[in-house]
Amino acid sequence: MYELHWGLPVILYLFLGGLGAGAGTVSASILLRGGGGDHPDGNFELARWGAFIAPVAVIVGTGMLVFELGSFEAGYWFRWINLFLVINLSPMSIGSWLLAFFILVSLGYAYTFLQGESRPGDQLHNLRKALAWIMVPLGIGVALYTGILLGAMPARPFWNSPILAMLFLVSALSTGVAIVILARALFGNSKHEDTGRGTYILASSDILLIGFEILVVFLFIMYAHLTFGQVETAVSVILGGELTNLFWLGFVVLGLMLPAAIEIKYIIPTLLYQKQYKVNQAAEILICALVLVGGFLLRYIVVIAGQVTGPVGI
Amino acid sequence: MNDLSTQNSRRDFIKGVAGGTVALAGATALPALAAVSDKPKRYAMVIDTRRCVGCHACSVACKTENNVPLGETRSWVEYIEKGDFPNVGRSFLPRLCNQCEKPQCVSVCPTGATYKREEDGIIVVDADICIGCKYCLQACPYGARFINPATGAADKCDFCLHRVEQGLEPACVNTCQGRARIFGDINDPDSEVSRLLAKNSTTVLRPEMGTEPNVYYIDADHTDENTSSRTFGYVRIDTHRRQQRRV
Repeated sequence: MYELHWGLPVILYLFLGGLGAGAGTVSASILLRGGGGDHPDGNFELARWGAFIAPVAVIVGTGMLVFELGSFEAGYWFRWINLFLVINLSPMSIGSWLLAFFILVSLGYAYTFLQGESRPGDQLHNLRKALAWIMVPLGIGVALYTGILLGAMPARPFWNSPILAMLFLVSALSTGVAIVILARALFGNSKHEDTGRGTYILASSDILLIGFEILVVFLFIMYAHLTFGQVETAVSVILGGELTNLFWLGFVVLGLMLPAAIEIKYIIPTLLYQKQYKVNQAAEILICALVLVGGFLLRYIVVIAGQVTGPVGI
Repeated sequence: MNDLSTQNSRRDFIKGVAGGTVALAGATALPALAAVSDKPKRYAMVIDTRRCVGCHACSVACKTENNVPLGETRSWVEYIEKGDFPNVGRSFLPRLCNQCEKPQCVSVCPTGATYKREEDGIIVVDADICIGCKYCLQACPYGARFINPATGAADKCDFCLHRVEQGLEPACVNTCQGRARIFGDINDPDSEVSRLLAKNSTTVLRPEMGTEPNVYYIDADHTDENTSSRTFGYVRIDTHRRQQRRV
């Protein structure tokens, strides 16, 4: 079998980095949608959770990457600084700079939520809004570049698809929404009982994102399967090959279909009949956990599948 | 061994004379020679697999010359066995970095540690800059790269740059018993590689990758386990490296 040059650290980074970037983008979007969060439907609290999760997840994920570096393993612990001495058109170079800026901005953004009794309209209101405007494009950039990075190589036919970056972006936003809902469901302040509207918006955007993800997965597989040659051979690893069960049962059923089905059950009454959005905590936690498992499995399967397949012929 | 250096110095001498002629006689200088001399060198290798006996002398010479760590290979020889008795065949495919014209490894490198030398087209890695991110290992369609555990940097065949700079041939070429490996400058029409390329039909490995390799093969067996077992029945590729399958 082919060698796995990139292992668990890279998989965890792709998951955590996507999750953090997604949470940051989602948090900033919620905040901006409420004009800085001063709507009475609890937007501000949701934005606060996203703002705290974003830098933590991205920093932990990026920290993982260092353990995969050959220079680190050989004892040159800080040689990765070389990444920031140049900038070129390598997706990894652009991604490193994006990550660095995202970490800085997201730390500042999280700080605006930390100051004492932070609330909409306090003295950091304008700074928070300004940083939120930067968080949205930066978060999308961080979530997107990982897919471009993997997709840049003809030598890895499984990855070499223009839609892989789109898949990663949608999955990042979806896991970002999930972690924000999960954090609020687990640790949220129960005095904000009237937050149904904010959660509803998030949950319905989650179902929209999952729907898009299913669509992108379909396009990814369909075009790969319709091609002849090495792309077809590469994608056969999830169409009958060794990762088939993990992909279809683990990612598609457990990570996409099941949470979508449960979420639809709670969304439909509000969506169609304008009823008050009600969801019990256990269901909320289950949905979010499944989405997160799905996000991790997607990164795992893509990273492994790309490396156990290669060009055919010599 | 001294072929190259004498050839080089002879060419330099001719160039010098030609330059002098230009200076002295103006437009009457040899135009062809002048045109050749301003092209940068493009080192290439022609591997005549008809002359390869699979002795691994090149692999051994490479490991010794470049102090390649155990378990890694800069150059290796693959055996291709195929067919069902009595119609069977065995062929040899010496492998090394292709020093591509459009190197994927270079375009993905985030630090600029690996680059294609403008003066001779050899792709090198600066081990002091390389962070060992393994992006180039993923991007190379030929599996020519590895992480050197001593330096923590990506490593690969560099046509024995330290020898070539001294006017010597790469170690594998120097040691090849059957003269299956021929090294030289394809921008010099008088070099042996240029003559071989002109006179023979040659192929490169995985041309569909668009990398435009500078290692050419005469009569190479492009049989691959993945694609050819349908045609030949039994096919076995022996890579003779830690990676049991072609990368």
